[in-house]
Amino acid sequence: MKNLTKKSIAGLFAISLVTSLNFMIPTTSSATGTPVKGGDLVVVRGDIETSLVPSIPPDNASIWVLEEIFDTLLFPAQDGKSLLPGLATKWSQSKDGLSWTFNLRPGVKFSSGKAMTSKDVKFSIEENTKGSNWGFLNANISKIATPDANTVVISTKAPYSPLPSAIATFANAVVPYNYGGVTKEQFGKHPVGTGPFKLSKWTLGQEIKLVKNPYYWEAGKPYLNSVTFKLVSDSNTRANQLAGNQAQINEFPPFSSIKTLKGQSKITVSAFASSATNFLVLNNSKAPFNDPHARKALAYLVDKKAINSAVLFGAGTPAGAFMWPAGWAHNASIKGRSYDEAKAKAELAQSSTPNGFSANIMIPSGNVDQNSMAQILQAAAAKIGITLTIQQLDPSAWNDARANKSFDICYTLVTTDMMDPDEIINVDAVYNGGAFSLFTYYDNADVAAWAAKAVTFQDQAKRKALYDKIQVQVEEDAPLVPLYYAPVVYSYSKKVQNFHTYVTGNYNLRNVWLSK
Amino acid sequence: MIRFLVKRIALLIPVVFGIITATFLLMHATPGDPALTYLGNHPTPAAIAALHHQWGLDKPIINQYFDFIGGLFTGDLGSSLFYNETILKLIALKLPPTLMLMLMGSLFGVIFALPLAIWTAIRKDKFIDHLVSLMNAVILGMPIFFIGAMGILFFALKIPIFPVGGYGESNLQHLWSLVLPSITIGLGLVPLLVRSLRTSVIESLDSEYVAFARSKGLKNRAVWLKYALRNGSISGISILGIQVGYLAGGSLVIENVFAIPGMGSFLMSGILNRDFPVVQGATLTFAMLVVLVYLMTDVAYALLDPRARFK
Repeated sequence: MKNLTKKSIAGLFAISLVTSLNFMIPTTSSATGTPVKGGDLVVVRGDIETSLVPSIPPDNASIWVLEEIFDTLLFPAQDGKSLLPGLATKWSQSKDGLSWTFNLRPGVKFSSGKAMTSKDVKFSIEENTKGSNWGFLNANISKIATPDANTVVISTKAPYSPLPSAIATFANAVVPYNYGGVTKEQFGKHPVGTGPFKLSKWTLGQEIKLVKNPYYWEAGKPYLNSVTFKLVSDSNTRANQLAGNQAQINEFPPFSSIKTLKGQSKITVSAFASSATNFLVLNNSKAPFNDPHARKALAYLVDKKAINSAVLFGAGTPAGAFMWPAGWAHNASIKGRSYDEAKAKAELAQSSTPNGFSANIMIPSGNVDQNSMAQILQAAAAKIGITLTIQQLDPSAWNDARANKSFDICYTLVTTDMMDPDEIINVDAVYNGGAFSLFTYYDNADVAAWAAKAVTFQDQAKRKALYDKIQVQVEEDAPLVPLYYAPVVYSYSKKVQNFHTYVTGNYNLRNVWLSK
Repeated sequence: MIRFLVKRIALLIPVVFGIITATFLLMHATPGDPALTYLGNHPTPAAIAALHHQWGLDKPIINQYFDFIGGLFTGDLGSSLFYNETILKLIALKLPPTLMLMLMGSLFGVIFALPLAIWTAIRKDKFIDHLVSLMNAVILGMPIFFIGAMGILFFALKIPIFPVGGYGESNLQHLWSLVLPSITIGLGLVPLLVRSLRTSVIESLDSEYVAFARSKGLKNRAVWLKYALRNGSISGISILGIQVGYLAGGSLVIENVFAIPGMGSFLMSGILNRDFPVVQGATLTFAMLVVLVYLMTDVAYALLDPRARFK
């Protein structure tokens, strides 16, 4: 899943009003010296890209590459708190809240040299709506009109505040009308977008090379001549390739290696804020966790500090509310349950199994981090008569068990794909929100109603009040236990300037340059 | 000889067929739905159904099996569920690095093992014989990825002769980037090859036909090449043939350590994602490879030892 996120709605409304900021584009402020043009950047990563058609890929590896080829109408700001102009320079919501008008940036061309028009935008959004992977982002859209070549009007079934965030998401990136006359499959192999780079060569499961798009609309950008994403599965090999200057950016070095990497003089290690939140997921649909007291008993046995030390080597933050802290919808007053054996015992005593129970913790085989967390919990639970058994399943079987409710406890990491909180509120806490309340099968009608109501408000403060209420309710019902908020870690050559990721996890290489 | 070959090949067909049938059944019997893996945290029933239909997984299993077998006869192995590309194209992309790695690995194994075997055979029970035995024990005890990692540390990072990993762009770069991984694989073969070659060379040297050859006044070189080594190498070839399984498994690990985009990572990602056509295609390729090497071993054996042809 890709992520765009953060405290966006305050920003969102401010932006829809303050259209004088039109020509702002996301840039970073941390450049050292004057940007140098040229250079070839190599990024090594552990995941394989699957598709470069915006509406298709479910994996971050593909999404982050296709975002360099395709632009969206709006971009997330670096801090993830607001939206900035992209292929659209102005956008505003109608008074009745039922439609949004986007004014397109004049003079934008695809990498083929053809001009981009509202016809392309309409086609792109409709293609995504039809798709089974990301169509849910557009579920509220009822109609898209194109009054002229530079204007797009999107109508929604009901007032829907998260729309600009949905439109800023990669799956709604702009492709040429009718894929430029080729099939979707052919287009996936020869994509054409308006982004800073275009595809040069793609060797499946090996590497993707992008080169500068000569028609890119932002003058002087990108700085780099090319970017190559290489698949290197083994994290040690990735670190070695960076040390040997065969690569300049290493995606996700393990937390355990941060200390060693920081000792290398030619390498920078950065932990960027992200929306990544890790959860202990309890299956609320069957015993023992259909009993809130049993769930709370277990929640009090989770030692979040120990987990942060054992798994993230202190790089994360023990979690409170289930919404990520950098987002505007985060309820900071919720501190979460801390490890407390006495309270755990008290909750257990009130449950239907006062003398304890047995349950399985399901983890994907070979996942060292989850194994550590499970062992810490297992030891704590044993003290009050709860017997936890760690069950290792291969990742696909693990996915199956989670979707078929045939598990008791598992761990799940969540990141958001859009800046607006609506996606994660639905994924984590609403039964029919797409992931059965993050596979807890927790079903609270009030929570679902509040979530549905929140998106109709134009006033962010009103939305925030409802989201706060949802988080309090979820904390009280404890269908899951938020464990920690994690940063994303990158190690890269000191020659790489201006590199950062957004809170939503994606990066924007149009601003990156290599010093001599 | 032709009859021998026909007989061997006829015996191998059911083996390959058995392997692919077992793989098909095992993959489908194991829990794990590729659609759930694909959709991550957004597995709506409609999206799952759409993917099942698109991938043909909504058909009865028996139909899927016959589609697969039918495809084999027309050279169609299907398409990857995740990569939207035909299996044949993917294999054509992934097989060459793995084949080269296995070939070069075997070659380095023989290059290292042969002189050591001869030397230790000549110097039986002397210091060098014991030293090589000790070295063999050390290599056998070390995991192959550790040898690979040490190779990278010393010969790519400390002394940058070889690339740290990857496969390069040109053919020459491909070859160069395979040298260090091949040496690693070759080293793993050395202990068994040295032991078997040494023993059989010693046996040959002690045999009556070598004594007879010497008594005829043949030169030492001729005695070695025509008698001692030819007979001694039979066991070496058998060992090398049997080790093709090790080579396939070893190349899988080594591909990971050296970031070589070969069949190993392809098969692993296929298994983890339940990309059925990928697993079936990759297993078929490995099965054919192993079977082919066994066949070649039998043929080499028959060529070196005529008695084998008449058994």
